[in-house]
Amino acid sequence: MPKTLDSLQPGQSAYVSVLNENKFTCKLMNLGIMPKTKVTMVRKSPFGGAFYIKIDNIQMAMRESEANTIFIQDIV
Amino acid sequence: MTHKTGLPVVAVLGNPNSGKSSLFNYLTGMRQDVSNFPGVTVDKKNASMVLPSGKSIQIIDFPGTYSVFPNSAEEKLVINTITNPSDPNFPDAVLYVADVTQLDRHLLFATQIRDLGFPMVLILNMVDIAETSGIKINQEVLENYLGCKVILTSVRTEKGMNEIMPALDIMLANNMRPDHTLYQLSDKENTVAAAVAAMLETTNLYRAKLIAHHVEWLSYLSPTQKDAIIKINKAEDFNDIRYQVLETMNRFGHHSPIVNKTTAKCPTSGKTWTDKIDNWITHKIWGPIIFFTIMLIVFQSIYSWAELPMEWIEQGFAMAGSFLNDHLQDSWWSDLLINGVLAGLGGVLVFVPQITILFLLIALLEESGYMSRVVYMFDSIMQHLGMNGRSMVSLISSGACAIPAIMATRTISNQKERLITILVSPLISCSARLPVYAVLIGFVVPDVKIWNVINLQGLAFMGLYLLGIIGVIVSSLFFKTILKSESTSYLMIELPNYKPPIWKNVFLLVKEKVLSFIIGAGKIILLISMILWFLASYGPGEKMQQSVVSAEKYSIENGLNDDEKSHLIASYKLESSYIGHLGKFIEPAIKPLGFDWKIGIALLTSFAAREVFVGTMATIYSVGNDSDEMTIRQKMTAEMRPGTNIKIYNPASALSLLVFYVFAMQCMSTLAITRKETNTWKWSIVQFSYMGILAYLGAFTVYHLLS
Repeated sequence: MPKTLDSLQPGQSAYVSVLNENKFTCKLMNLGIMPKTKVTMVRKSPFGGAFYIKIDNIQMAMRESEANTIFIQDIV
Repeated sequence: MTHKTGLPVVAVLGNPNSGKSSLFNYLTGMRQDVSNFPGVTVDKKNASMVLPSGKSIQIIDFPGTYSVFPNSAEEKLVINTITNPSDPNFPDAVLYVADVTQLDRHLLFATQIRDLGFPMVLILNMVDIAETSGIKINQEVLENYLGCKVILTSVRTEKGMNEIMPALDIMLANNMRPDHTLYQLSDKENTVAAAVAAMLETTNLYRAKLIAHHVEWLSYLSPTQKDAIIKINKAEDFNDIRYQVLETMNRFGHHSPIVNKTTAKCPTSGKTWTDKIDNWITHKIWGPIIFFTIMLIVFQSIYSWAELPMEWIEQGFAMAGSFLNDHLQDSWWSDLLINGVLAGLGGVLVFVPQITILFLLIALLEESGYMSRVVYMFDSIMQHLGMNGRSMVSLISSGACAIPAIMATRTISNQKERLITILVSPLISCSARLPVYAVLIGFVVPDVKIWNVINLQGLAFMGLYLLGIIGVIVSSLFFKTILKSESTSYLMIELPNYKPPIWKNVFLLVKEKVLSFIIGAGKIILLISMILWFLASYGPGEKMQQSVVSAEKYSIENGLNDDEKSHLIASYKLESSYIGHLGKFIEPAIKPLGFDWKIGIALLTSFAAREVFVGTMATIYSVGNDSDEMTIRQKMTAEMRPGTNIKIYNPASALSLLVFYVFAMQCMSTLAITRKETNTWKWSIVQFSYMGILAYLGAFTVYHLLS
C-alpha cells in the first residue's frame, strides 16, 4: 500500500507522489501541495484530528481526512 | 445595492493574505464606501478615485480568492461577477496583488484572470519581507510572460505605492488586452467551450469553459441556458473536477519555471521566526494554555479599559436629557425625543467603547496571523460539536456582541457548520448582559472575598459565562443531530507568517466594523425603543388619567416631596400603560419562574436589547433615570409579594432571572442579522424559540431547586 501524508510522524518529511482527485484537490494545489513538493509533518493538533504541515516557506493546517488523499514517497 | 456610476471599474483581486485589502485601504483611505454585492451579504468596499490624468475610476476590493475554482461563498461571488460582462461590478481592468514571497501560488489566479481577457497591472507586494529574506526580484521576466506592467510594492514601507495610479492610467488608456491565452484548452475543453460560447455569444473560450464548470451555481444563467449547458457537459462527458485539476497542474507547470527566474531565492536556512513562535503557540499543551490566557487578557481589558468612556457616554446622555427636559416644553414629542429616541440612542452608543476595544483586539489577533492557529488547534473539538475550526473566531467575537460574530461565519463553506455557528453564537454572554448580571448578582452572591483575593461575585460572573459555554455545547450537539448537511466540510487553511500589524489598516478595519454596528443595530434599537416608549406612555381607556390622580392623592396624604411625587406618578403610569397590562398578561406564564408582572415588563422591554432591563427597572421602581445600579438594587430588595412577607427577590428568583438572561434570545438586532445571513426568517424563529425554551426550562429548574 502506498503511504499517505497522515502516516508521517512529527518531524518527518516526504515528497508528494499523487493527489487523490476530489472536490478539494484544486484547493490543496492552491495552498502549494503539488506532485513532487516536499512536505514536512511538523506537529499534530492539541486535540487531535488535524496536522500542522510545512511546505518550503508555507505553513498550513489540514485534517486527517484531507491528508490521506495525498500520497507520498521517499520519506526522510 | 448597486450604483452603476458609469466610471470604469478597476477590481482589486488577489489571494487571501496577499496584503490586498491593506493595499486597497492605503490607496483609498477614508474615501471608501461599504455596501453589499447585489443579493448577498458579502461586503463590497469601493471608492471613487481620480487618476493623475484627471480620469475618474471606481475601484472595488473583491474578497480574497485562490483561483477560479471556488470553495467558499465569497469566492463564488467573485467568479460570478468576473465571468458576467453584464454585472454592474464587472471590471474593466484588474489590479492584481500577489505576495512576492509566495509568488508561485499567488500567480495561479493572476494567469486565470489574464486568460479571461482583462487588462491587468500586477502588484508584487511585501518586497520589504522579500528583501530581508534575501529574495532577488527580476520583474521583467514576469512582465514578458504575462504581457502586463509589474510593480514592486510594500504597503508597510510605502515603497512603490506612488507608481500604482500612473500605471492604472496607462493601462486604461491603452486598454491592452492579451492576444493569446496562457493556458491551451485540451480538445475536449475546446469542444465544450466552443459549444457554450456559441450559445452565450461570447468570444472568450476560457470564460465559456468556466461557465461550463460552474453551470450549477452561476446566478446569471437563465434556466434554459443552464439546461442547455448541462446537456453539452453530459454529451461530451465533461468531468468537472478532472479538468479543473488538469488546468491547475498545467498552469503551475508553465509558470513555476518563470517564477524561479523572477525570484532568485537564497536557500532557506534553519528556522524562521514563525517556526519558533509556533513551537510554543501551537504546542500540544502550551498552545491551549496560551490561548486561554490571551482570552482572559482580552476580556479583562475590554471591561477595565471601557469602563471610563462608558461612564462618560452615560453621563453625556443624562446631561443632554436633562438639558432638553429643562428647555423643551412638555409635550408628547419632547417626551418621545427624550425618553424614546435619546434613551434608545444612549442604549446603543454606551456599548461603543467595549465593542471598539474588542474589535481592535480581534483585528490584531487576525492581522498578526494568530486566529488561523486557533482555527487549527480547535478544529477537532468544533467538529465534535458539528462546527468548524473557523467557528472559534465567531464564538470569541460573541463575547462582545453576537452581530459581528454571525457576520464572521461567512468563511465557513459548509452550510450546516455555518448554520450551527450562527444559531449558537448568541449563547455566549455578550457585553449587553453585563449590566443585568451586575444588578442581579448581588441578590445571589454576597460581596465577600475568599482568602482576601478572589472576589466571590467575580467568580459568579465567570460561572455565568461558563453556563453560556455549556449552553453552546448542548445546543450545538442537538443541532448536529437534527440538521442535514449537503456540502462537504474542510479545514485546509493557510497559517500565514507572523507579521507586525499595519496600524492604518487596523484602524480602518475597526472603524468600519464599529460604524456598521452603530448604524445596523442602532436603527433597530431606535425603532424598538420608540415603540416601547409608546407602549409605556399610553394606556387603554381612562386608566392612565386615573393612575395619575391616585398617585397625586397618595403623595399628598403621605407628604412626599416633588421628586418623590413625580417618580411615583411615573411608576403608577407605567403600571396602567399598555406595557403594564402586557406584563400582567404574561404574569401567569412567568410565575413558575419566580417572576412577577414587573419583571414581566422588564423581560418584554429587554427584547429590544438586554441592557434595557436596568432602565426599565429604574422606571418601575420609580427611582428616576439618574439613579445608579445600587439604588435600584435597594428598591428591589425591599420589594414584597403583595399581601405577604415574602421577598420577590430572593436568591432563588434572582438566580432564576440570571439563568433566564444567560440563555434567552433578547436581541432584535441579532435576530435581524441572522435573517440577513441565512436569507430566511426561519432560522431567526428557530433561534428565538430554542433559546427561549432553554431559558424557560433553565430558570424553572433553578427556581424550584432553590425555593
